Amino acid sequence: MESPNRSRLTRRRSGYGSDDLDASDDGDEGDQPKTKKAKLAKAALAKAKAKAKAKQKKKKGDASGSDDDDEDEYNALPIKNSRRITDLDDPTARPPIGSLEECAECHKEFTMTRYTVAADPGPGWLCHACAKAAGIDPFKKVAPRKRKAPTEKRKVVSYEDVERIPTLSGICIKVITQHLEDVEALGDIGVVSMNEILRVIAKARSLTAENSQLFYNVKNTTLTIYDATNLKPDALCALASLNPNLESLRLDYCGLIEGTAVEHWSNSLPHLKRIELLGPFLVRVPAWIKFFESKGPQLTSFLVTQSPRFDITCIESLVTQCPNLTELRLKEIGLMADSFLPHIAKLSDLTYLDLSRPKESLGDQAVVDLLAAIGGKLTHLDLSHNAFLSDVFLEDGVLPYTPVLTTLILSGLDDLTDRGVSKFFKAYRKEPPLIHADLSRCHELASDALTGLLDHSGRDLVELNINSWKDTSNDTLMTIASKASRLVRVDISWCREADDFVVKSLLDGCSSLAYIKCYGCNHVTDACPKKRGVNIYGVESHVAS
Amino acid sequence: MANIQDKSESEWVRVLSEDGWTFIVPRKVAVASGTLKNTLSTGFAEAEAATCHVPHRGAIVEKVMEYLSYKTLYESAGPKEDIPEFSERIQPELALELLMAADYLET
Repeated sequence: MESPNRSRLTRRRSGYGSDDLDASDDGDEGDQPKTKKAKLAKAALAKAKAKAKAKQKKKKGDASGSDDDDEDEYNALPIKNSRRITDLDDPTARPPIGSLEECAECHKEFTMTRYTVAADPGPGWLCHACAKAAGIDPFKKVAPRKRKAPTEKRKVVSYEDVERIPTLSGICIKVITQHLEDVEALGDIGVVSMNEILRVIAKARSLTAENSQLFYNVKNTTLTIYDATNLKPDALCALASLNPNLESLRLDYCGLIEGTAVEHWSNSLPHLKRIELLGPFLVRVPAWIKFFESKGPQLTSFLVTQSPRFDITCIESLVTQCPNLTELRLKEIGLMADSFLPHIAKLSDLTYLDLSRPKESLGDQAVVDLLAAIGGKLTHLDLSHNAFLSDVFLEDGVLPYTPVLTTLILSGLDDLTDRGVSKFFKAYRKEPPLIHADLSRCHELASDALTGLLDHSGRDLVELNINSWKDTSNDTLMTIASKASRLVRVDISWCREADDFVVKSLLDGCSSLAYIKCYGCNHVTDACPKKRGVNIYGVESHVAS
Repeated sequence: MANIQDKSESEWVRVLSEDGWTFIVPRKVAVASGTLKNTLSTGFAEAEAATCHVPHRGAIVEKVMEYLSYKTLYESAGPKEDIPEFSERIQPELALELLMAADYLET
């Protein structure tokens, strides 16, 4: 009486019609045909599946079919009353469906089905009733193994949110930009600080057309913008209109400037005398010519770096329209050539000349001719990275024709020789002495050239750069401090014989020293002396720590 | 040497403004500023005394310290967590000076 009752209860509870499959002998008979039918249908399905599987395997050419049994035992063809050899070897292997097993719990015999579950703890198998009693739902569907979409395997990072917290400078610039209109709110901070703030904003690379207005003023006579990257031509026209009294204008990284802005300046900056531009790539020849024509004789300084379109007609126009130029920089000009020089030679008032880093080096003779014409007033000469210039130009040009030169920058002239340079300094006039000497990256120069230079103008040198004079002897380097006691900035990088004692002598001997650069000097160690107020850059052991 | 070691391990540091205000902040907060981190690292007198001078007035230094605390608090925030805007806490009249202090302190 008990068992049908219980089975009905469980049936109601679980909703499955199979609760008494093995106990069906003493249960009601009406259920059986139905379940048998279902069983048959299921077996047929399993067969079909197994067939399909076998076909697939054949396609793959996989001969060892039995390996698969552990994974996919449900689809295996039932082999009645006999176990496979592999199954006998392994007690945990599942017996084939249809075979009779003894339940691990109640020790009754029951038929293996695809729903039979393993006893926990093993070994053995549970009959249907015991499985249910243990709280395991035998019909629980094994969740189909989801195949990950191939796109999910590769994590595509379209952008990385590196810094979620903005910097304080960034926040301040934002606040300032928001309150631009409200001058009262920001308060007056003075001209010096304004320049400082301009620097900070440029450093953060966030000067825009909007916040640049903070620095515009009708009264401004000079304006320096350290980073004009984000100023479009319109903004640059506005700049000119809002600062009509500018006499000196410097724009760094002004890559967006083009013809219209330069032409607008022609009309709107009536007092402009000095202009300094870094990177005006887009300005075309007609715009330059119009600018020179409008400014005419009032322009005294024209300093341009990197302008690939500045050609010989521009220089012709500049020379004829602006004869009062005293400062001329045509640095990194792609079209620069010897043919430019006869035109520059007409600018007889030049004191500052920078023709460094052309695409093709200028030649010795052309430079000598130029210096012969305009060398008389030059105080600043920069001819760096003109690879063809040699001792000849020093001896025939600089030596006889530059009586008042104080700054000589000849970086990267590979053809200069130690002997030639030393000879030049021995013969060069002593007064006025050089204040700033930069002969860096002239690899041939060494002890003789340094001795010549120090004997010539060591007493007054403020800045000395002998970067990459690799063969300079330690003894000569030791004489720098005693011969050039006024030095403020020294670069002795890649002078292989510089050591801690050279650094010490510089620190002791030069009272107003601000920095020493000694990159690539292996003998300068962690133990090198320090001094308050003097920065020592490039000590290798500092980098490592 | 051991003494210095102990000091550098100590949890609090002192930050002095130019007009004599003193701010005592956790070391963790102070080193969120590049400049203060360098000053408090090896070898300098400031490191030994765990004291830094900032050449700005008290009101500005206070705001900087506020930002540094804000930064250390939210630095490790998860991507879902909301981070309040700091700009709301900056009075516009302080912004220019604060910008210069921020530049000096590399924050």
